[in-house]
Amino acid sequence: MINLLRMDFYRFTRNKIMYLLLLLFCAFQIFGIYMMKQYAQPVEEGGVQIGNLTEIDFIQYTISQPPSWMLIYIAVFTIYFYMSEWNSGFHKNYISMRQARIHSVFSKMAILALFVAMLFLTMLIADGIGRRMFFDQTDMGDPGTLIILLASQFLLHWAFSLLVLCIAMMTKNLLISLSAGFVLALNVIGMVLGALENQFTGTHLTQYLLINTLVRVKDLGNMADLIHTFGVAVAAILILSYLAVRYKIREDLN
Amino acid sequence: MTDCIIELCGVTKMYRSKAAVRNANLKIYRGEIVGIIGKNGAGKSTLLKMISGHVYPTSGELHFFNRAAAGEQSFFERMGVLIEQPGLYPNISAYENLKLLAIAYGLSDRETTIEKLLRLVGLDPKNTAKVKSYSMGMKQRLGIAVALLGSPDVLILDEPINGLDPQGIVEIRELILELNATGLTILISSHILEELSKIATKYAIIHQGEFAEVISKEELQQRCEERIEISVEEAREALPVLERELKITQYKVVDSRTVYVYDEHIRIRQIVQELAQHGIMVDSISRHKQSLEQYFLERTESAGERHD
Ligand SMILES: Nc1ncnc2c1ncn2[C@@H]1O[C@H](COP(=O)(O)OP(=O)(O)OP(=O)(O)O)[C@@H](O)[C@H]1O
Ligand SMILES: [Mg+2]
Repeated sequence: MINLLRMDFYRFTRNKIMYLLLLLFCAFQIFGIYMMKQYAQPVEEGGVQIGNLTEIDFIQYTISQPPSWMLIYIAVFTIYFYMSEWNSGFHKNYISMRQARIHSVFSKMAILALFVAMLFLTMLIADGIGRRMFFDQTDMGDPGTLIILLASQFLLHWAFSLLVLCIAMMTKNLLISLSAGFVLALNVIGMVLGALENQFTGTHLTQYLLINTLVRVKDLGNMADLIHTFGVAVAAILILSYLAVRYKIREDLN
Repeated sequence: MTDCIIELCGVTKMYRSKAAVRNANLKIYRGEIVGIIGKNGAGKSTLLKMISGHVYPTSGELHFFNRAAAGEQSFFERMGVLIEQPGLYPNISAYENLKLLAIAYGLSDRETTIEKLLRLVGLDPKNTAKVKSYSMGMKQRLGIAVALLGSPDVLILDEPINGLDPQGIVEIRELILELNATGLTILISSHILEELSKIATKYAIIHQGEFAEVISKEELQQRCEERIEISVEEAREALPVLERELKITQYKVVDSRTVYVYDEHIRIRQIVQELAQHGIMVDSISRHKQSLEQYFLERTESAGERHD
């Protein structure tokens, strides 16, 4: 496990795509903040101006605005990282090692967690720069709440990357998994299902869908909301990693 | 040679409703070089993939050291595998590819191991070119290095000679023999029997997913050697004539009525004449000659009309 993780980490640190994605994300994030400044409506919903938002509210605001760019970066990286190995066939060289099928999935999951963490770090930096430059705003909000928000969003985004990983593993196809990744990042499915549910049943089950939970503005002071958020994240991570491992164990490596 | 390390028991692999390998039974002993021979699409790669644990049999069982492999992935650990194209990252160098794998294996003295391996397969360790710029033969050599990196006990090579130049073929053949001499068991596939005849100790001819024949090197040689088969009333009586009058030294008495003569210079007519002069009647006599290729084609029923 450790050795496979080392190998994946070595590959992670040496691929240019990862740095490129982070750089692009950082640039577009700052650019986005600039655009917000340019086209800011005088009064946002609830009478709050973007310039006055704390970092906590700013994150909540940006993540809830479709399309979620972070999800798209995550999808692209996940698919790239998995498919580059799959298409090269390199995995066949080590898959005969003891438990290698299981460990290779765990190692991919760990690398994805690392990438998501780096993405969040990049976001914090970009937000910090952008908000300071364009709104002269540096208020981060309550540190405890910020950590809770980051932790919950980290888990939700990681779960999303595992979802994309599963799709890439099972379809073994770059284009299909990329398209699926985009559709999921735009949350088309979540919104359609939500609308249908609203229309026909009146229940609220779709709010427990992973991406619906992810883009929802959270009430971080509310215990029930926190349980909902973390519950969905943890459940998704457990289910998706189980699926990924199970699939990998049975997979024919042709 | 008495340890059976791999045994296939009725192994079948179905792709949808089509069997790529059907009911394969084979025992592989320690130290053997097993040649798997078959035409395109015969099921060679599929067979090797199952043995190396890359794909799972639809039915039947694999046994390693007399124990079922199901659920015991660790048996596959001692194998070095090169099946179809070598699995290499195209955008990094040969050295980097091997380095990644060495990390996965947890090797400690990576640098020396990798350099030694690259030299062993005839590649330059200092070459920093990306693997995608490699020629097919160079990739193939690198693939062999990759298979050898974990210092395996069993080496599985699927058409390793593909794309190699004559020089390379000789080198790789020698390498295989060298490795075998150090105790490696080797499985190697090809669609040319001739190619394997110089190294394999056992042949499994596979045709449309089924083993047409499993035959040892000695048996095969016997079947394909050139000889004159003589059938007489009493073989014993013919021998002095053959030895003294015809100066034949290489012969074999197969049974009480049959003698095989291996001397190449002798003519059939001479033998018949000489034996008749000594009052020995020849019941039948024929020259037997079959090339390895003919032998193989016969087993795989694609020889078409043969004229010999
Ligand atoms: N992944 C797969 N899906 C469907 N059919 C397959 C798959 N792999 C192999 N087959 C089929 O199984 C049969 C055996 O294929 P295999 O690759 O084992 O042949 P081979 O002997 O290695 O041929 P070659 O000499 O061309 O390499 C072929 O008919 C092939 O079409
Ligand atoms: Mg093949």
